[in-house]
Amino acid sequence: MTEQKRTVAIHVPVLARVEGEGALDLRIDDGDITQLRLRIFEPPRFFEKFLEGRHYTDIPDMVARICGICPVAYQVTAAQALEKLFGIELSPWARDMRRVFYCGEWIQSHSLHIHLLAAPDFFGCGNAIELARLAPEEVRRGLRLQALGNELMDLFGARSVHPVGVRVGGFHGAPSADRIDAVRQKLRAALPEAEALIRWAAAIPLPPDDQTFVSVGMRHPDRYAIETGDIAASDGLLIGADAFDVHFAEQHEPHSTALFSSYHGQPYLVGPLARLNLNRDRLPGSVNTLLAEIGFALPSRNIFQSLLARAVEILLALQEALRLLDGYQVPDSPWVPVTPRAGVATGCTEAPRGLLWHRYEMDDDGRVVNARIVPPTSQNQGRIEEDLRLSLLAFGLDHPDDTLRLHCEKVIRNYDPCISCATHFLNLNVERT
Amino acid sequence: MSRVRIFGIGSPSGDDQAGWLVVDALLETGILRDSGIVIEKLDRPGASLISRMEGAERIVVVDAMQSGGMPGGIRHFDRNDVSDYGQGLSSHGFGVLAALTLARELGSLPPRLDLYGIEIGSAMPGEEACAAVGTAARQLASSIASELNVRARG
Repeated sequence: MTEQKRTVAIHVPVLARVEGEGALDLRIDDGDITQLRLRIFEPPRFFEKFLEGRHYTDIPDMVARICGICPVAYQVTAAQALEKLFGIELSPWARDMRRVFYCGEWIQSHSLHIHLLAAPDFFGCGNAIELARLAPEEVRRGLRLQALGNELMDLFGARSVHPVGVRVGGFHGAPSADRIDAVRQKLRAALPEAEALIRWAAAIPLPPDDQTFVSVGMRHPDRYAIETGDIAASDGLLIGADAFDVHFAEQHEPHSTALFSSYHGQPYLVGPLARLNLNRDRLPGSVNTLLAEIGFALPSRNIFQSLLARAVEILLALQEALRLLDGYQVPDSPWVPVTPRAGVATGCTEAPRGLLWHRYEMDDDGRVVNARIVPPTSQNQGRIEEDLRLSLLAFGLDHPDDTLRLHCEKVIRNYDPCISCATHFLNLNVERT
Repeated sequence: MSRVRIFGIGSPSGDDQAGWLVVDALLETGILRDSGIVIEKLDRPGASLISRMEGAERIVVVDAMQSGGMPGGIRHFDRNDVSDYGQGLSSHGFGVLAALTLARELGSLPPRLDLYGIEIGSAMPGEEACAAVGTAARQLASSIASELNVRARG
């Protein structure tokens, strides 16, 4: 039998239907991957410049425009960084409601990703519409959960897309007790749905995968880190947001206008699986019992379990929102007064897709001198390339081009990067020699 | 929630406000006041459009459309016109057609769906809609209001 060597060059010049622009180049020569480049053009790069000279009161609304899916993450991170610099102590009400607001975003973003983007891959479906034919009840359930997440965001943000509720010092307004009562009933009703979602996700057959990587995410002394906490890594690192630059670096690569992040020179994972890998001991007991029951062992080295991790975080977010809204009362004031001061503000939170870090240099008038925003997608970019290389080698390179392309897409979508918000974005041009 | 719901879909970008302008015009006429009909402006609702249709008998959706015609042209589609749509299903770019197609697969389309498209030109952020789109929006609002009013009375 003659072994047939081949050269395959897969160029995707523009990834269509994505937030920003990106591309994938893959070249295989004589059975080896000789080029693998994921090129991303991230919108947040432009926002940093837009922010210069803007007053601190504008920042939460401006950064909310960075992402239509995770605006709360940007708002809360910016507000938190500035509140730290200005020496602001949030009221207990505002502190709790920031977490509830954030839970809403996790619920809607994770529900969307699971049902519209990731799950179709594991059922051999081209998109969510095809999945809806196979699993209509599950897709309906996913859409209900997503709508509930949106409703929570709308409660505190006045709208779910690019909300406007957050201000430095708290919120602009407080929802009425009647509205909170109504949403609490829905949250309670959604708990069994989220549990069913976890069981469904756990039953999805996943490709075998066993990779070594560093997980990076936030960690809080006594709860599952969402909107507050320090930055932790699975090798034992635990630092405050202000020490991010000491351990993490961003650098330009010639093939991308997005910055690649590295941790001590290495790629790393951020996002729901990294969070669970770092914070299993911060999960409520009932959630841990459920994980044991379904056999979800943590830490996990199978990146395809990210879908299940998202399902677990939906349940966690529902429980947290319900807990924090128990005994809700409209506060005397939803915000505390703020006096700006000059200095450097850093802050981080856990966006649905992973760690989000902000740094603002502010002047005496409370205006931005310069800003830096490190979004999760940039941080995962190096890890995605590494994963693609390892996954393709494990998968085998002698598959037809369409099969290789599909596998690449599946790997990329698994990270839920903004650029892969399209389900099938690779329009292949294949060259063979 | 009302059994009849009218959704004007848009964004604050020039002619893309077409759907919102129809809602403004409907509310201004006051014809449907106290009718119990839900009339809402939606800003790129994505998949959440599906849950908003839940339990409705009739949904009227108005959105901007680009089909190569002159700005201000109006076209009507119904539930039979929701064709197969397999492209562009992303969480960021999940449009009205994708939502309606998915709703159909899930059996969530209301018994009656009226989808109106208003042909638009430029959709630049921060700009006003052009005069032709404004006129079309008022005409369409008047037509929707009259028809619903007649039905309500009848």
